[in-house]
Amino acid sequence: MSTHHQDEHIRVLIADDDEYILQAYREAFSDTESTQEMRALDALAAELFESSHIADDEPHFDVVACSQGNDAIDLAKRAANDGQPFDVVILDVRMPPGIDGVEAGCQIRELDPDVEIVFVTGFSDMPLEELQRRVPPPLKLHYFNKPLSFSQLAQDVASFVREH
Amino acid sequence: MSNTKAIRSLQRKVSLRLSLAMAVFVVGVYLILRAVITPAFEELELEAAHADLVRADQAIQTDIENLEAVTLDWGPWDDIYEYVAGRNPGFRKSNLDRPTLTNLGLDMMAVYELGGRLKWGQLLHNGDELPLENLALLGDGDPAAHLLTEHASVDSRTVGIVNTALGPMIISSQPILRSDNSGPVAGALVMAQFLDEQRLARLQERTEVNMSWVLVENYVIDGERELSDISIGELPVRFSEDLVTNCIVQADILGSPYLLVSAKTPRTITSLGQRTVSAGVLFLATAGVLLVTVLWWFMKGTIIRPIQELTRHMDKIRKSGDLSDNLNFKSDDEIGLLADQYDRLNSEVHETRAALLHQSFKAGKADTAAEVLHNIRNAMTPMINGLDRIGKVFKVTDGLHVKEAVEQLSSTDCDPDKAGKYVQYLDASFDRVATVHAEALDDLRIVASQARQVEGILSDQEKFTNVAPVAENLVVDEVIEEAAMVIPRDAPTEVDIEVDDGLTAYRVRAHRVGLLQVLSNLMLNAYESIERAKSAEGRISLSAKNTVVDDTEMVQLTVSDNGTGFDEDVRNKIFQRGFTSKSDGDFTGLGLHWCANAVAGMGGRIFADSQGEGRGAEFHVLLPAAQGA
Repeated sequence: MSTHHQDEHIRVLIADDDEYILQAYREAFSDTESTQEMRALDALAAELFESSHIADDEPHFDVVACSQGNDAIDLAKRAANDGQPFDVVILDVRMPPGIDGVEAGCQIRELDPDVEIVFVTGFSDMPLEELQRRVPPPLKLHYFNKPLSFSQLAQDVASFVREH
Repeated sequence: MSNTKAIRSLQRKVSLRLSLAMAVFVVGVYLILRAVITPAFEELELEAAHADLVRADQAIQTDIENLEAVTLDWGPWDDIYEYVAGRNPGFRKSNLDRPTLTNLGLDMMAVYELGGRLKWGQLLHNGDELPLENLALLGDGDPAAHLLTEHASVDSRTVGIVNTALGPMIISSQPILRSDNSGPVAGALVMAQFLDEQRLARLQERTEVNMSWVLVENYVIDGERELSDISIGELPVRFSEDLVTNCIVQADILGSPYLLVSAKTPRTITSLGQRTVSAGVLFLATAGVLLVTVLWWFMKGTIIRPIQELTRHMDKIRKSGDLSDNLNFKSDDEIGLLADQYDRLNSEVHETRAALLHQSFKAGKADTAAEVLHNIRNAMTPMINGLDRIGKVFKVTDGLHVKEAVEQLSSTDCDPDKAGKYVQYLDASFDRVATVHAEALDDLRIVASQARQVEGILSDQEKFTNVAPVAENLVVDEVIEEAAMVIPRDAPTEVDIEVDDGLTAYRVRAHRVGLLQVLSNLMLNAYESIERAKSAEGRISLSAKNTVVDDTEMVQLTVSDNGTGFDEDVRNKIFQRGFTSKSDGDFTGLGLHWCANAVAGMGGRIFADSQGEGRGAEFHVLLPAAQGA
């Protein structure tokens, strides 16, 4: 079991066949960009106004994205071989034309028993109990229905990675 | 191959094979009879023909023996003995005359002295007395003469057939002896009879045989003489169409083949045999035809007709698709059992098909819903995240101190050193707001794009529902029966479904699955309406009637229920997209809207009636009547 500090980056593998969604994932899991102008403005505000403060408690993610289940398995395998396994794998359940997310999750679980696997789907034919049976253990399996706020998902992911 | 052809083929096969079997049987019987019966009759006929020949031959022999007996009676007689010795001249006058010949039935009589000298002789030919010389017999040089005119001993005698110039004769020569048969031989007594037409007639009459004779030298077979091949005894049998001819060659007194005696026997026995065979064959053929007819009648009744009924029934089911139609064939044999098993199998298939239809209807809806859900949720995710980001970027402006900066700058005691920084802060803040606006605009574009994608998905669904299906002629009650399966059998609310018996008479031109879904939707709506009404006696009625709309023959199907009903306001909106009268909120309002579109796609229309809330509802589906119905 690994523990993450706030300043450590959480390695996330995301697989979804919808490019719009992948883009939304990337944006939600990326750090807020801080331009020079914004930093100058914040510095001025700190100097001129007493109530201004700069807080940074946002989690940081290293995101790798792909659009097919087989690609996700390959990426997970490669990361494990490189000694940098993913902390979280987020999988869409339906990803035609290749294998579905559940099958990909099964194989990734065989590669890495510790990785947190998150299923995110618009519609699944499979009940949660069946998913838990196929991709154990239940404590490292998470299930979300679309549509959902990926910003919130990012917070949740950070939360259960830190807990575990 | 059509089933009608198959039925004919079965009939033809059975008829052909039965007829063939009968023909083989009759031919076989005929051949057996020919092989067994006909030879037996031919053998009988040969035996009869041979018996005729023997009778003919024996008749001539009998005449010869009779002649010999007469000769034997006259030869040993003292009176003639003395006469030939020249001591009884009165004998001639009293005994040797024409009446004696006539009485004895003789044609010739002669008395010879010793040394072969003629003492007395008389010849009768056709009633005329002729000289013996006319016979050209017994003359000098004739090899038979000494056999007839001279006898060396008392036991000597010559009997047989002899050739004469006037024709063949049977002849007998006896030595003239004393009455006690003692000698010495005084001379020779010769008696003869012509083998002429009269004698032949008598013999034929006596023997009842169609006999004849001919001199061997005149004997001709098929226009050719066969003298060299002829020997004494029987000749090979000859057959003609009507007669069997048997011949025997008799020798003359010299032992040479001389007279050929024929017996012609009509072929009545073989003719009778043939008639017997023909009668037998005819009898058996008649019996065979009767047997085959009975067998055919039996097979038709017990096998062919039931199989034809079974085949016709299967064909009917294939065309109509109505698996509920049972054969109900009553028979206690294996075919009855087969028909019964077929009915059971049909019923099971019918129930399975209905269950499958019900399941596939549900599954089809579920699949479509799943796909649409998946696509719409996928499309909505970037929208939500876009809105999320918009919220986030606008939140940045919350922390700006624009108002405070403006107040400081407006204040008279503002530190001039800080005033420049306030202005700089305001300037930077406005830049921040402009940036936020730009980012928000980008996100709004994404949201708008995803909203269009959702609309696209919905449009696709709409297009899918508008795909024109292939229309076919449908019997209304069959579709209704299948549609009724949509109502769960273990439903908590008991509903009585009344189907008008006359529905079998109505046929519409429509798409089977489409109409099935429309009727299923209407029946499910009716059922749910009854459920909501909490009626103790739920009832759904199905009926149909013919009508004409805009010069087009239509069939109006009506699904009525005693459920919640609706008022005039609802009636006007009930087929609108998104409208629902259901209070539980589960219904999307797409069902009746879809039904209306589907019915319109089939060239019909749908409308609803109700007497008001709590008074039930009627849904009418107008569809074009089937072509040629």
